[in-house]
Amino acid sequence: MQHEAFANTEDFGGPDVAPGPGRISRPGADAPYADYELGKPYDEMFTREGAVRGPYAALDSRLSTLSLEELVRRQQTCEQSFLHQGITFTVYSDNRATERIIPTDLLPRIITASEWARLEAGLTQRIVALNLFLRDIYNEGRVLKDGVIPRTLIYGSKHYRREMRGLPVPHGAYVNICGSDMIRNEAGDFVVLEDNLRVPSGVSYMLANRDVARRAFPAVFRSMGVRPIEHYPLELLATLRSLTPFTEDVSIAVLTPGVFNSAYFEHAFLARQMGVELVEGRDLLVNDNVVYTRTTSGLKRIDVIYRRIDDDFIDPLNFREDSALGVPGLFNAYRAGNVTIANALGTGVADDKAVYAYVPRLIRYYLAEEPILNNVETFLCREEKSLSHVLANLDKLVVKAVGESGGYGMLVGPHASQKERDEFAAKIKADPDNYIAQPTIQLSTAPTFVGNGVEARHVDLRPFILHGAETKIVPGALTRVALKRGSLVVNSSQGGGSKDTWVLSQ
Amino acid sequence: MLSRVAESLYWMSRYVERAEHTARLIAVKLDSMVEQSPDEAAASWGRVVQALTGEKLEAHQVDAFAITRRLAFDTENDASLINSLSMARYNARQVREALSNEVWENLNRLYLRLSPVTMDSIWVHTPARLFREALEDMHALEGVTYSTLSHGEGWYFLELGRHIERVQLVGRLLNLHFNAAATEGAVSPKYFDWLVLLKFCTAFEPYTKRYTASIRPQKIAEFLLFDAEFPHSICFSIDRMTEALAHVAPGAAPARRAAVERLAGRLKSAVDFGQIDDLMNGGIDSFIADVIKQCEQIHHQLYQSYITYGAETVL
Repeated sequence: MQHEAFANTEDFGGPDVAPGPGRISRPGADAPYADYELGKPYDEMFTREGAVRGPYAALDSRLSTLSLEELVRRQQTCEQSFLHQGITFTVYSDNRATERIIPTDLLPRIITASEWARLEAGLTQRIVALNLFLRDIYNEGRVLKDGVIPRTLIYGSKHYRREMRGLPVPHGAYVNICGSDMIRNEAGDFVVLEDNLRVPSGVSYMLANRDVARRAFPAVFRSMGVRPIEHYPLELLATLRSLTPFTEDVSIAVLTPGVFNSAYFEHAFLARQMGVELVEGRDLLVNDNVVYTRTTSGLKRIDVIYRRIDDDFIDPLNFREDSALGVPGLFNAYRAGNVTIANALGTGVADDKAVYAYVPRLIRYYLAEEPILNNVETFLCREEKSLSHVLANLDKLVVKAVGESGGYGMLVGPHASQKERDEFAAKIKADPDNYIAQPTIQLSTAPTFVGNGVEARHVDLRPFILHGAETKIVPGALTRVALKRGSLVVNSSQGGGSKDTWVLSQ
Repeated sequence: MLSRVAESLYWMSRYVERAEHTARLIAVKLDSMVEQSPDEAAASWGRVVQALTGEKLEAHQVDAFAITRRLAFDTENDASLINSLSMARYNARQVREALSNEVWENLNRLYLRLSPVTMDSIWVHTPARLFREALEDMHALEGVTYSTLSHGEGWYFLELGRHIERVQLVGRLLNLHFNAAATEGAVSPKYFDWLVLLKFCTAFEPYTKRYTASIRPQKIAEFLLFDAEFPHSICFSIDRMTEALAHVAPGAAPARRAAVERLAGRLKSAVDFGQIDDLMNGGIDSFIADVIKQCEQIHHQLYQSYITYGAETVL
């Protein structure tokens, strides 16, 4: 990617990278941390006693030499750059469409080499187990016969695709692109909050944020041995290629719902970075179970489709017939083995919030290993004992509807009014199978530039896992930030932003 | 190349050309109106409005402020500068992957700069300046398009859009002037109007190099219709169109190619062998009208051959 450069060449190789001798930053007392609150949650930068953690020393040292005005200027330059590149989403109100950038924070979030090694091993273990699970439930169903997971939970899921039963999938890789949501608990351990196995987004922001942070703090960046992530599009391309038996002239396309989709920038970005075609449903047609794009020179065959459209909308003949986004007959071509679709259809059944609770058991079942990464403790309202516990402790729990995502259909107990809790309790009682509850885990906090200083804001972590012939995780992630003080909601649709994530090489 | 992508590139380029033409007409008119009598300025503004929107104004309706607002910033006016830019950007946004970053960012930046501008903010001092600056930005856009985008099929679709649009814009402007010349009174173009016509087409200096500074309608017509070297002449644009057509859709079946190329070849020979002497005794307006009509036919055939063809015709 190309952007206007931050005009700060003096930053390169400056002598100010090492922590200043004897200087101690005190959150809550000194600028720029005057309003930095250390609370119960784990803080990424400061220990409980207020000392700077080792990996953040260089950044802290640099921050202490920059004026507030300079930080504001760098923040503005980065926002301008996003706007000019069109890294925006559209907000519709009063019949007017306004383009907004997804807010980006200048300050990187840092992950050490050993933390990353554990994350990488844990995420690999998890994606392997989840793919074995998907292959199992769409074929012989051993896991159901053995009573590891209730049959009704699978067959009753609205994301279970009967059409997928018995269909061979290359390498048994149903989920090829995954973006798991992780959080760091009070003890400082990473735990998995959600497996996003359908069409996860955000990877373009991971890459765009890298450009921003690297140019905001070039010397710090260079001194720290941050592992590169720029090869993500290449790895994605290799993963997609591995999904087809053909080796020569493989034709790959990214399928987007179109320019009005909020993630359109990302779809175009990935297509451009991989050098493959970006197509909409109306560019594709199926003839004799072969998928073609309509080109100026005639029809051209497509072998692999990286689809950024939900299952429901992909083929009006086989799924929702009112879908104008999809391609009539696409699923038949898929069934005939003439095209590969990534992710495969029906993966949503495994990132159902209820199935999530079983993932540790699935790892033990399929791999005979202990899970490396823990889940957040989860109560299934379908189990009577859990239900009464949930209803009695609504003020302490976060309750989520099983099939929803993006922060919708959710109750954050401690922040809700009694009236909201009562209303939600009625919903849960009416349909207990549809809800799960988790303790209000405090997301960890990370330093975030807020205009008049650096303050603590809650963050999560979304690494991107690729799984085809082999599993690949680019050493980086999207760190999402809840920009409102005290807020735990990091979703971009509800006031969240993001920041760069630096994985250190040692 | 995907047919949809070709279509978006083609329209992006047409809209950029239209925006540039609109900005230039407004800038030239705002600069030149101060040297004209009110009646002559009104007639000249009337031709600008008609060339850009097809609407005919009565003399008493001519108000430079209102016209500039309507031509530049009125979002209700499909042909306004801001709408043309918005449509260019909309099309570009759909084919980001087919454009270079530089092309997209130049276009995006220009749109973002002009979209919040209000008439009140530019009218007080030098209203023409904004449009001259917009023109500079559009020339820069043209430059980065030439220098950062591969000159492959996509680039040739941009060329097609640009020149099909240009022929029609220049043609319409010429026709309005020659029609007005056939009448008497204030609406009949004066020496100064012919000079302005050249400026509307960025043709003043190139024209004087070719014919000296003696401004004569017949020479202007000859220059803008038949000059093979001047980029805003109709002959030049048709030449570029024909060349672009030879480079698009390289793998298309011969019959589909021939359908478009035949139309373009017919138009090219009409212009290549046209003689200004034959046209000056009446007939110049029907000649230009015919050129414009043939461009529309080429546009339709381009769609049928490469963009909206039925799948059954190629399987």
